[in-house]
Amino acid sequence: MGQVLQFAINGLMSGAIYALIALGFVAIYKATRVVNFAQGYIIMMGAYFYYTFAVLLPAAPWFPDLIFAPEWLVAAKAEAAMFSPAAAWLTWLESLPRVLFGLIGAVVGASLLAMAIERVLMRPLLGQSNFSMIMITVGLISVLSGLKSVFWTGDAASVPHLAPNPAIRFELFGSPIFIFGANLVSMCIAIALFGAIVLWLRRSAAGVAMRATSEDQSTAYSMGISVPRVFATAWVLAAATGAVAGAILAARDGVSPSLGLFGFSVLAIVLMGGLDSFAGVFIAAMAIGVLEALVQWQLGGDWVEVTPYIAVLLVILIRPHGLMGQKEVERI
Amino acid sequence: MTQPLSRRGVLAGAAAALAAPAYLRAQSSEYIIGVSLPLTGPFATAGKLIAPAFTMYEKLCNDEGGIGGTPIRFVTEDSGYVAQNALANYQRLLAAEGEKVVAYYGDSTAFMKLVGPELTGAQARLMTSTSFASDLDSPYQFMSGPTYDDQFNILLQDIAQKGGKTVAFVHSNTEFGADPIAFGQARAAELGLDVVLVESTKPQGADIPTHVTKIAQANPDYCILQGYVTGVWPQLIGGARQFGLQTKFMGTFWGMEKLIADSVTREAGPFLEGYQGVMPYRYSYDTEGAPRLQQIAALAKEMLAGTPLETYIPTWGMQALASLELLTVALRRNAEAGQAMTADNLAQAFGSIQDVDLGGYYGGPISVTDNKVGTGRVYQYSTETNLFSPISDWFEV
Amino acid sequence: MINGNLKASYAADERILDNGYRRGFVWGAALLAAALPLVASDYVILIACLSGIMVIAVVGVNVLTGYTGLVSLGHAGFVAIGAYGVTLLHQALTAMGVPAALQVFLALPGAMALAAAIGVLVGLPSLRVKGVYLAVATLSANFIIIFLIELDALAPWTGGKTGLTTVDPNILGWVFDTQREVYVLIAALVFATVLLVQNLFRTRIGRAFIAIRERDYSAEILGISLFEYKLLSFAISAACCGLAGALMAYFYARVLPEQFELLLSLQLVAALIVGGMGRTMGPIFGVVVITLAPELLKVVMSAVAGGSVEAAQIRAPLQEIVFGALIIGFILFEPLGLTQIVDRAMLALSRWPFARG
Repeated sequence: MGQVLQFAINGLMSGAIYALIALGFVAIYKATRVVNFAQGYIIMMGAYFYYTFAVLLPAAPWFPDLIFAPEWLVAAKAEAAMFSPAAAWLTWLESLPRVLFGLIGAVVGASLLAMAIERVLMRPLLGQSNFSMIMITVGLISVLSGLKSVFWTGDAASVPHLAPNPAIRFELFGSPIFIFGANLVSMCIAIALFGAIVLWLRRSAAGVAMRATSEDQSTAYSMGISVPRVFATAWVLAAATGAVAGAILAARDGVSPSLGLFGFSVLAIVLMGGLDSFAGVFIAAMAIGVLEALVQWQLGGDWVEVTPYIAVLLVILIRPHGLMGQKEVERI
Repeated sequence: MTQPLSRRGVLAGAAAALAAPAYLRAQSSEYIIGVSLPLTGPFATAGKLIAPAFTMYEKLCNDEGGIGGTPIRFVTEDSGYVAQNALANYQRLLAAEGEKVVAYYGDSTAFMKLVGPELTGAQARLMTSTSFASDLDSPYQFMSGPTYDDQFNILLQDIAQKGGKTVAFVHSNTEFGADPIAFGQARAAELGLDVVLVESTKPQGADIPTHVTKIAQANPDYCILQGYVTGVWPQLIGGARQFGLQTKFMGTFWGMEKLIADSVTREAGPFLEGYQGVMPYRYSYDTEGAPRLQQIAALAKEMLAGTPLETYIPTWGMQALASLELLTVALRRNAEAGQAMTADNLAQAFGSIQDVDLGGYYGGPISVTDNKVGTGRVYQYSTETNLFSPISDWFEV
Repeated sequence: MINGNLKASYAADERILDNGYRRGFVWGAALLAAALPLVASDYVILIACLSGIMVIAVVGVNVLTGYTGLVSLGHAGFVAIGAYGVTLLHQALTAMGVPAALQVFLALPGAMALAAAIGVLVGLPSLRVKGVYLAVATLSANFIIIFLIELDALAPWTGGKTGLTTVDPNILGWVFDTQREVYVLIAALVFATVLLVQNLFRTRIGRAFIAIRERDYSAEILGISLFEYKLLSFAISAACCGLAGALMAYFYARVLPEQFELLLSLQLVAALIVGGMGRTMGPIFGVVVITLAPELLKVVMSAVAGGSVEAAQIRAPLQEIVFGALIIGFILFEPLGLTQIVDRAMLALSRWPFARG
């Protein structure tokens, strides 16, 4: 029982990150009716921006030192035992300026990238067939992955955690449970961001504009909504949340180009939940997170990679538009 | 309604592509050794660190008169760690340069397995690679160290000697990661060790918390990590240390790089203290009584000035250098015997290498058996000195 | 160029190659392709073989995406089925004692049939979903096929991650064991596939596919069974890819699962977009561009930067960028692909000097 719980908790923690990434897919789809196959690669770029601003730049000799190290902190750190919770907090405090700088760099960088993509590639296709837009994002996969290799090596480097990372250990039903502090905080950040953005889309004028656009583009236009602006907002929203998710993942597993492929499994999750339903994708993300952890436990790592794909095929066969997606009504 | 444009286009393009090599062919005779390295893709860091070794060796060998007066030249190409790309590089080089290509340096276990059956007749070349895969069955493929199986053997023997009881294998789900696992399980059983966990992970971006949890639940005395290069293994060890696991972690050749261990220590703290692993070679800073390594260190200072490699050649570069030294021995012997540089002759010359002292790459004079050099010893990393130091004698396997 | 076609009989109207230009074109092409192995260097043969295999696979994608309007990002999976299928069938036939000289006649169609069967299975979601859902469903299928091939439990048959050593085809005693010989086989099959598929679209089946592409509901109202024809399209398309896979197994001495991953699927779709969807010459133009672009890049880069390692390590990323830019560029500026550009050029040529453009 304890073991099941352990893996369920691990699963919820990765599920929350899936949900945060899924949010980007849904936002873009709702506003523009485009499914962004390159979302994973935008996340990857976000992770590399975080790596650049939090690790590479601060290490450059000409750059101001971003280590927060007043005397008391250095002294306390020297005293704290390695891997003790105190040491974890102090390490985090020490790198906090880097983390913040990195996070800002990642969000701004990814947002600029998304704005450029939207303006240059997607807007000329406004009103064109869905197929063209999908294929543009497929082409974008190669472009982004190539750009990444031009500027960064394939390094699987370590980057600082967003949150203090003490190990949390306790007993539950007689078996020990291990949790990484940073993962717990990341889960909270992801869920909070998810909730805040969904709420914002529901309540704010920009959110209403986005929903109106998703209902009917030309009507929205004639009601005075700036549709191009809605598109740009959606892309920026997706890129910014993606950058945060990328930073979290990079801190957890190391920065690497494999983050790009990660996007495909989240896309599978999004289709499972329903492309236009925030609630649906949240449930699907959490479910797949837990399912993956349990598969990992029982069947091993190889099976994990195909879990979302098998799940999405089954769901699509039974409910073609996902758990909570709206059926598209087609006029003939 | 079909084809001709494709053929015509192919002809035009290929004619352009062939113009450059044709020009070179007119120059003086030389021996070409083709190289595929992962300069992009998941293991790009490694590829970029290996590449300078070839530039250095080209100078070193040609300054010493090349192969009986004929200079050697390396043609390095990127494979992106995709076996098919490396195969295409190989086939293209053969198609363009023909008989001038005398040997090839491949970049992965997958490539060596993919190319193995192609090595027949005029398509065969003597070949070595970054891989220590255990079941390379082509007579033309050799390695300058022990196979991964052998490396597992060394580690497991070491564990048994130190009184370990339980062991876990964590490996990447690449060919190179899975290679020695079956052998490891069998060998552990023979040695009376209990394999409590065999865990497969992604080679990069693996879900660290979940894997660490599994290691923690199995709680083995020792854990052998296989199939990683720059990533995953440090994070796994870091995670396990945070949970206060007492498990001792061990690595094989590709997980024994000082530059990686140093950068992890710098970035994330000194948790690699006590990390052990098997290495077929001496580290490049271990130059005592190793004239060749001193020579190489001097050359590196001159040729690689201003790069991190100026004072230290990574283990992966050492592997390339050692392999090239062995290859040169074979090429020179073959040239002295006045034989044509065919793969068969070279393989034979290579197999005849017995008790040759390469000047410090290994523990002493080495011999080639079964197309490999079966020696290695266990090293341990210290976060104080940032060095790997030997903690065992040389094992012969 | 043709400005009009005078057809004096129904027979003339029904020919595939319905005018002299087309006949000349195809026969000329056949002659060129036949002469190639006599004159070309090893390098050209290598590129020609790889392009030929790609053309067959892209023709397969064209049937599904170009003519039936169903998007697939998973066709590399069918290529994998073909490659593994043909190798395993050869093994099975040898075990049953079928003489080596006859095995190809059973193994090649067998592998295509196997790919077609898997194609039907993967096509099942297409009955309920379209567009992006189908793209993801096929993508998933690709991942799952590769996963099954790599799975330890199936490794005794598939070789797992280490792959399988393939056989050299032996047709009635002629062993195709050099690239030049395999080229002959590939070239013949490229011609056969392209012409047969071209012919398909003059039949009831092909017209049904096109009707589905234009509007599936309208097609259904016209009496076309979506169930039957969508799955048929998947089957034909997968069979072509299976054939390409089988040829890949014949061409290489070994097949590895990593050859058939997402990258190949994307390449197939990219070639089709660049060449022109739903056109006979589309796959051929597309494959020429995406095979020649990297070669050209290599020539340009070695002219500019020489053979340095720095140049080598920037080439692959540049290649990727060019590849992506080709897809994006064609969609933005010429969605109908190269075929359309060629058509326009031919039209201009035929009117010249009386009219321009």
